[in-house]
Amino acid sequence: MPELGRAALALCLGLALYALIAGAYAAKTRRRRLAHSAQNALLAAFGAAGAASIVLLAALLRNDFSFKYVAEHTSRELPTPYTISAFWGGQEGSLLLWLLILTGFSAAAVALSRRSAPDLLPWAVPILGLVASFFAFMLVAVSSPFATQLAPADGAGLNPSLQNPYMMIHPPCLYLGYVGLTIPFAFAMGALLARRTDELWIVATRRWTLFAWTALGIGQLLGSHWAYVEVGWGGYYAWDPVENAALMPWLAATAFLHSVMIQEKRGMLKVWNVLLVVLAFCLALFGTFLTRSGVVSSIHSFSVSPLGGWFLGFIAGITAGSLIVIFTRLPLLRSKTRMESLVSREATFLYNNLLLVALCLTILWGVAFPILSEAVHGERITVSSPYYNFFLRVFGLPLLLLMAIGPLVAWRRASLRSLGRSFAWPAGIALAVGVVLLFLGAGSSWIGLVAYTFSAFVLASIGYEFVRGTRARKALTGGAWLAAFVELVGRNRRRYGGYIVHAAIVLLAIGVVGSSAYDTVRERTLAPGQTMGVSHYTVRYDRLVKRDGPNATEFRAILGVKKDGRSVGTLESGKNAYRAEDQTSNEVGIRSDPLTGEDLYVITDAINPNGTIAFKVLVKPLVNLIWISGVVFLLGSVVALWPSAAEQRRLASRYRELRAPARA
Amino acid sequence: MSRRGSPVRLVVALSVAAVLAIFLLYVSVTGGTPSIQPSQLHGRTGVVALDGKVTGTPAGDAQADGLRFHMRDVSGSGAGIPVVYRGSVPDMFEVGREVRVEGRLQDGVFVAKKDSLRTKCPSKYVAKKS
Repeated sequence: MPELGRAALALCLGLALYALIAGAYAAKTRRRRLAHSAQNALLAAFGAAGAASIVLLAALLRNDFSFKYVAEHTSRELPTPYTISAFWGGQEGSLLLWLLILTGFSAAAVALSRRSAPDLLPWAVPILGLVASFFAFMLVAVSSPFATQLAPADGAGLNPSLQNPYMMIHPPCLYLGYVGLTIPFAFAMGALLARRTDELWIVATRRWTLFAWTALGIGQLLGSHWAYVEVGWGGYYAWDPVENAALMPWLAATAFLHSVMIQEKRGMLKVWNVLLVVLAFCLALFGTFLTRSGVVSSIHSFSVSPLGGWFLGFIAGITAGSLIVIFTRLPLLRSKTRMESLVSREATFLYNNLLLVALCLTILWGVAFPILSEAVHGERITVSSPYYNFFLRVFGLPLLLLMAIGPLVAWRRASLRSLGRSFAWPAGIALAVGVVLLFLGAGSSWIGLVAYTFSAFVLASIGYEFVRGTRARKALTGGAWLAAFVELVGRNRRRYGGYIVHAAIVLLAIGVVGSSAYDTVRERTLAPGQTMGVSHYTVRYDRLVKRDGPNATEFRAILGVKKDGRSVGTLESGKNAYRAEDQTSNEVGIRSDPLTGEDLYVITDAINPNGTIAFKVLVKPLVNLIWISGVVFLLGSVVALWPSAAEQRRLASRYRELRAPARA
Repeated sequence: MSRRGSPVRLVVALSVAAVLAIFLLYVSVTGGTPSIQPSQLHGRTGVVALDGKVTGTPAGDAQADGLRFHMRDVSGSGAGIPVVYRGSVPDMFEVGREVRVEGRLQDGVFVAKKDSLRTKCPSKYVAKKS
């Protein structure tokens, strides 16, 4: 069996190299049949990667401990779902997952683009082949999942902190995002190499970018929720390098998704767009590298491995190669039009891009700083939350404001009168909300007050856009309100899907601000019967219970909770002592208020021999909006992603026209 | 990019970028915490993040007058530095684990900041040797 896996990987490497070399030669010499054969090699590489994956999965499920990987990441008692998740629980397996998703996406992109973007494909294929070759080479030569050994009686098991249902979904979701960014990168490079510098590559890969970006966003929220309910320190994001690793490409892709609209509408920012797609892809590689190399000291640095040098070399090569290609094509990338005014839709997009990229690069700087400072003066200097929080405010608040302003500003050049007309309602509502919040006591954090006023502004401007659009459509068709609304969204999925995503980002901002700027933390050691007050809650420690769970002894403090003087039930918070693993874990108690989105969050810090317990109690207002924002985000993305036949026809005819004279 | 009027914008953009870069440098140099290992600590009394391995027998109450333990370099070499810590103790804290703690050296004892103790997630779970 391991031989089969190794052979499949070697075959995959061969096919990917063929797609790279034959594909590049075919593109250079315009040989159509050879180009076709290179495309087929990519399809076959997916088959080979699939075969290797099946071998590994089968070995995991059969507890075949003669596979080193299986022995190191599973055990006989490990429940089947976690045995499957061990596929990506270790380095070799997660690289194989990368390769599998990459070849799968490549095959799909090749199959889908044969008709829609035939001029880009010849050069996109060797780029995809190049990336696939790198991962296949790593798996064949550096970090094989099919190393064998004399089978031990039992495996080492999966790290208990990874034995959580989120392990099934969070890592693969992030990987879909990381890998998905390869497709727009490959087509962008393909377009440049083919000297086809219009926006066909953007249109051809728009859904891939959106999909990757959505997966990356949802993956991060899932990870945050995992940390919040399981890790038990009361937060959901710690600016850990591995968390930042996913945030950076997401921010770059967010900037990209916005700036391509300017290229599509106005033919501007061509160089900027290819630079952004290179940045997003390199950051996705860097993210994989960060989680897999342990180069940055991090609470989840998974492994210190020989992978690091290879990865850095590959990232450096990709960056240098891309920049050279962009440089040689600069004359072709001249804009046809110029920005007419600094007060226009395209200008707000530009500001949004500068802010997003600035935020992304400050985070990159923070992540890389320990390595850089060590290289320069021999001492690692780490930056932590205050640094990141500072820059999140500096760049995040203006971004929030731009989200409100952008949709209200006209393309090309906005007149003051039209601005005044469209701003009046949303800005008025935002100011009113700000004043009301000030009277309600939100002034305790001015950042929070500003953020909430801006958030109200965004929501009001989105609402205004929906109302204005629906009213116009109703006037046009004369139907009912609901029909007009559905038709409005259905006909402009991209625009209104985008607005829904904006609403999700606002919900996220409200949740983050509420739970960080307006939270309350109290710590006290309580004996049974004693109470402590936290914000408008009173928590009474009643008793400690001890019970036997399936694999752990569970200690739980039973707490009576009163809110505003009224009893609202009991809450359990405690610790689990895992018998086999000889570890304890905090099991926090969370009481969510469905009406206000507020959480009462109780951590049992220490259970003392004298019967007292040290509790840490947090009240986190509005924190549940963060999780709700994930649902809204997904909804908006799906609306924007949903294929529209009318749009496809329009684009197809547009690019057919463009192509015809080029061939003549 | 290089057409009429745009050099002004280019200059503005470049200066914004330059200001930002300097600012970043400034913030990260002054706002950062050096991370060092126990063997590098000798005598320095500024605030640092200490990365190392837990040794000795942890004793005392982190919620009261402090949890006391020793820390050694990750490689296991060097003399142990006594550490006193107050605050939440992570689940995975135990002898032999890699931890990071922030604080400063006072009279030969590393006094940690409250709630600054972090354990490093072990890359592979190794079953207890029986």
